[in-house]
Amino acid sequence: MELFLFYAFAVLAIGSALLLVSLRNTARSLFLFFITLFGMAGLFLFAFADFVAITQIMVYVGGVLILMIFAFMLSNKELLQDLQHGKNSLMAFTRWQAVFVSVGFLVVLTYALWQWDSEGLPLWMQQNIQDGNIIQATDNNIPQLGIKFMTEYVLAFEVISIFLLMALIGASHIARKEPEND
Amino acid sequence: MIDTIIHIIVPIALFIFIATFALFAVYAERKIAGFVQDRLGPMETGRYGALQTIADILKLLQKEHINPTNTDSILFKAAPILIFVAVFTGFAMMPWAQDFLPANTHSGLFFIMAVISIDAIGILMAGWGSNNKYSLLGSMRAIAQMVSYEIPVGLSLIAAVMISQTLNLNEIALMQGIHATETIKFLGFWEVNQVGGIFAWHIFQAPHLLVVYLIFFIASLAECNRAPFDIPEAESELVGGYNTEYGGIHFAFLFLSEYAMMFLVSMLGVVLFLGAWNTPLPNIGALRLADWTTGLAWGIFWTLAKSMTIVAIQIWIRWTLPRFRADQLMNLCWKVLTPIAFLCIAISAIWRIFVMV
Repeated sequence: MELFLFYAFAVLAIGSALLLVSLRNTARSLFLFFITLFGMAGLFLFAFADFVAITQIMVYVGGVLILMIFAFMLSNKELLQDLQHGKNSLMAFTRWQAVFVSVGFLVVLTYALWQWDSEGLPLWMQQNIQDGNIIQATDNNIPQLGIKFMTEYVLAFEVISIFLLMALIGASHIARKEPEND
Repeated sequence: MIDTIIHIIVPIALFIFIATFALFAVYAERKIAGFVQDRLGPMETGRYGALQTIADILKLLQKEHINPTNTDSILFKAAPILIFVAVFTGFAMMPWAQDFLPANTHSGLFFIMAVISIDAIGILMAGWGSNNKYSLLGSMRAIAQMVSYEIPVGLSLIAAVMISQTLNLNEIALMQGIHATETIKFLGFWEVNQVGGIFAWHIFQAPHLLVVYLIFFIASLAECNRAPFDIPEAESELVGGYNTEYGGIHFAFLFLSEYAMMFLVSMLGVVLFLGAWNTPLPNIGALRLADWTTGLAWGIFWTLAKSMTIVAIQIWIRWTLPRFRADQLMNLCWKVLTPIAFLCIAISAIWRIFVMV
């Protein structure tokens, strides 16, 4: 049952992602992105990362995706048509970016796969199982997450929060109406 | 095998409950509206018009499926389903009585917040798919409102969670009655583990949670697009908002999810602030009122009774207050509710560290 669900979520994520990039209708592909994110959140659940899964839904669906749809609705038609029937040459800038990102991911994936040698689990996993450093499905890992954030990763956490604050101030500065001086 | 059957029966039972609730909530809405406006409301169908909403839903179910030509047919059809499923999923985490809930997880509250944001996508989908300016305007207003008001809702939930120290709704409810595993104190000085009742509720454990509950209640009204925050559906300006183009069973589902959402946020408020399934009656000496009124059936009864009361207050507010203008709405959210909610979070932290120890 669980295996079936895992593959169902995987197919959902990959299938909708493929459909998303091949669709010409931008509005539909934006809504399809929701299904991709949802499938990804389902996959996170299988890694016992329920907090990450829910955060993914909340931040990406509740925030980023809605912003993207708003941006799509507010952009003008000519620009969109340019995007929809844009240049298809191999040398286009967007293509190079895509190739770069996908090759990067391929390298990461092959490196991860390479660690799974013929004996099975990679070394760091075996080490953790020996030390009993594993989480169970019934564990409550939210407090651990909080403690880790405030101790081990506090610098990264604070840098991100300052970055977000900067973005927020910048956004409100741009959106503010200048007082009329005449 | 038994597990699988239970997993199927529970959602069906929940669905039947929500559908019945929506039917009678609509009836209650019309009767309360009648009472507020000093008229009778539905009186013709059945005794005191009690069968009116059943007649209405029969009419809706028989209606023709109208799919306007220029809609984006996939988005148009998927939107009501997505909205309803999103709200319905939220009920998976709601506790009805002690250890009597569909899914007992450590991240229940967080899950419900995520589910509410899926609801927003569904509304946007309905507005865009309808290809109608009123629908689109209505859904844009709805999203602007829901995204803004998610912040006071989230902050008020955080303020409550800081007192309870868990996101598990079952444990949050447990901490507000005679079965609490930790020491709970009324206003931080009187231990009420044995007394229970109304004194053990979260809003009386820490007095500022009363303000937090008020913020939560106001913001949750906006979350489910209820009056006085119903500019997304303002009939006089927008025809019907994002559900203008919907008819028949699609409209029935949109309507159902609106009432389900009302019940969901009321129940969430009850679980977090108003003692969940715990009885409001305290133990007074030999009069063990709290002990007598605690149990599975009592738990379900108290949850239902409290949530229904909150729903009734929502309806009462709808027919009493005029609609907010869009800018007043945003002012209230960003300049009043959000700063107070932040202040309450700070008080929660101080309360947790210095008073509850």
